[in-house]
Amino acid sequence: MKMLSLLVVLPLIGAFLIPAIARISVSIAKFIGPLILLYLLSITMPAFMELQSGQSSAIHFAGFLPPYGIAFYIDELSLLFANIILIAFLMVWPWNKNNFSDNHSEIREYSLYLLLLAASSGLVLSSDLFNLYVFYELLAVASYGLIAKQPKIEGIASAASFRYLLLSASGSVLLLLGIALIYSLTGTLNIAHLSSVANESLNTFAGVAAFLLILIGIGVKAEMFPVNSWVPEVYGVISRPLSALFAGLISKIAVLFIAKVLLMVYQQDSILTMILFIGVLGVLTGELIAYRARDMVRMLSFSSIAQLGLVFTALAIPGKTGLYIAVAFMLHHLVVKSALFFLSEKMHSNHEHLKGLYHQSPFIVILFIFLILSLLGIPPFPGFWIKLNLVLNLSTITYGNVAIAIVLLATVIEAAYLFTLVKKMLANDESNKQIAYQTGYQSSYLFAVLLAIILLVSTFNISSLSKSIENMANNTN
Amino acid sequence: MTHFANYLTTYLTTEIILYTGAIGLLVIGLLGLLVLKNIFRLLLSLVIFESGANLFLVLSGFRANGIAPILTSTQENMSQLVMNDPVPQALVLTAIVIGVGIQALALSLIIKIYQRYRTLDMNEIHRKLEQDIAGISQSTPLASQEQPLYLYQKNSLVQNNEGEK
Repeated sequence: MKMLSLLVVLPLIGAFLIPAIARISVSIAKFIGPLILLYLLSITMPAFMELQSGQSSAIHFAGFLPPYGIAFYIDELSLLFANIILIAFLMVWPWNKNNFSDNHSEIREYSLYLLLLAASSGLVLSSDLFNLYVFYELLAVASYGLIAKQPKIEGIASAASFRYLLLSASGSVLLLLGIALIYSLTGTLNIAHLSSVANESLNTFAGVAAFLLILIGIGVKAEMFPVNSWVPEVYGVISRPLSALFAGLISKIAVLFIAKVLLMVYQQDSILTMILFIGVLGVLTGELIAYRARDMVRMLSFSSIAQLGLVFTALAIPGKTGLYIAVAFMLHHLVVKSALFFLSEKMHSNHEHLKGLYHQSPFIVILFIFLILSLLGIPPFPGFWIKLNLVLNLSTITYGNVAIAIVLLATVIEAAYLFTLVKKMLANDESNKQIAYQTGYQSSYLFAVLLAIILLVSTFNISSLSKSIENMANNTN
Repeated sequence: MTHFANYLTTYLTTEIILYTGAIGLLVIGLLGLLVLKNIFRLLLSLVIFESGANLFLVLSGFRANGIAPILTSTQENMSQLVMNDPVPQALVLTAIVIGVGIQALALSLIIKIYQRYRTLDMNEIHRKLEQDIAGISQSTPLASQEQPLYLYQKNSLVQNNEGEK
């Protein structure tokens, strides 16, 4: 178990060493990143297999025991996400894409990817609020760099990155403020310790305010309703695999952070109602703007705002049930949205230019239809069962019926724009079919197929899969 | 007058003054972020906002009559000593360093933005950015970056570092 701290340490060391090693040999430096990823996967995979259900452990650093030292908290959920992070990074790793004219920028991109990897692993494993803040900032800095580093359009990408930076850094300040408030109220930042004192010292106006500050601060990364104006701009300039990473993984990690704080520290009715409203508004705004979007990337990014709204709506259900549905939603969205972004490499971005795609390449369209059917929640795909579970459980809470109505309305809107798009793809337009099809990277296509297969397999194993996720959520402390 | 002086000494403690300062910095920074248009000033507002949060964080461990948290053998009745909490001080050091790093990164981004758009007005930049993104998705497959150079030149989306001189 101690080895799991390497999840943060190795990528950090790698990130700082890569530029130095590149001075000696560029080809060695290129292999460091994938090697680190594979090695870490060889640690986390067995650890995940060996971890008995319900078992959890903590890694204490430098021999300081909690509440004084800092610790990593390891249970099934955090290990699952640690594995997913590694696999996702292996998929989006800029393998052999010579986007950059010189090796120098390429090497820097590898460093940034490794930094992002270290930060996301830290965010998933850490159980100390201030450590979470530090990892969150590290994640933010690495993502500003990755967004700004788009070959050929650096000026545009820098502008998008700067606008994102302003929003995200303000969010981080609010997060820090919330953490300061919690510290002055309780005198501790260890989440497990906080959960034992939460009832007496955080059940006040100041305590709720602290949670609000943290929620808005993290919400920037989690594409939460009022603070998601960066989404279309950033996804408009970055490459599709990177979009898949951001929409699929990074936003989920931020949600996981919120879920951790919400579940362990704040289980108050007023806060849960607030989360419900934020989630529902996110669903509605996301779908409505996606309906108006006229290009693929924007449509997918707005729809991911809506999907994350659904995750927040699920978190409003009190207790472990909420976590179970939220985690199921996150995993489903992670697979489907990443696959859609990977697949969109093969398509023209503009909706009008997608006409006749089916006649050029039927398999891509069939794959696309399969993915959006699950995204919409059409039976028998996994998306349907999750949405059904959400709706059934929502009916038991306050304002739940309003939320159900809005969620279903949003599904109709989503179906409207997705099926319009499919209709365009199926249209018989001989002149356009050459434009509609793009020769993207074969690797992205391959990953899209792979993710679709995962989705298909989970369709057939839905009952055992849902049981194991439910167990996982129940065993999270 | 004496009444007013008494009032001041009772209620205007050091902590109140310091907290007012922290919250004041936060308000100034937030207002700046909301109303200013120049991106350099926006960044400065962010810096002020951040220092407000840092001051707030370090104040959470501050005691007005506390001493530095160092135990020495000469101190008597240890149990009655009031010390400042060292943890927020350690935390705020980290936060300050992170803040400086982000400011440096943001400044370098501002340089890149100025080279591209020749303006520092946020509204202007936002408008042009929207146009550029629309341009990217309208006509070119950003997806396949194997052939972007040709397509960007076709739509005059090339970096105008040289072009504008």
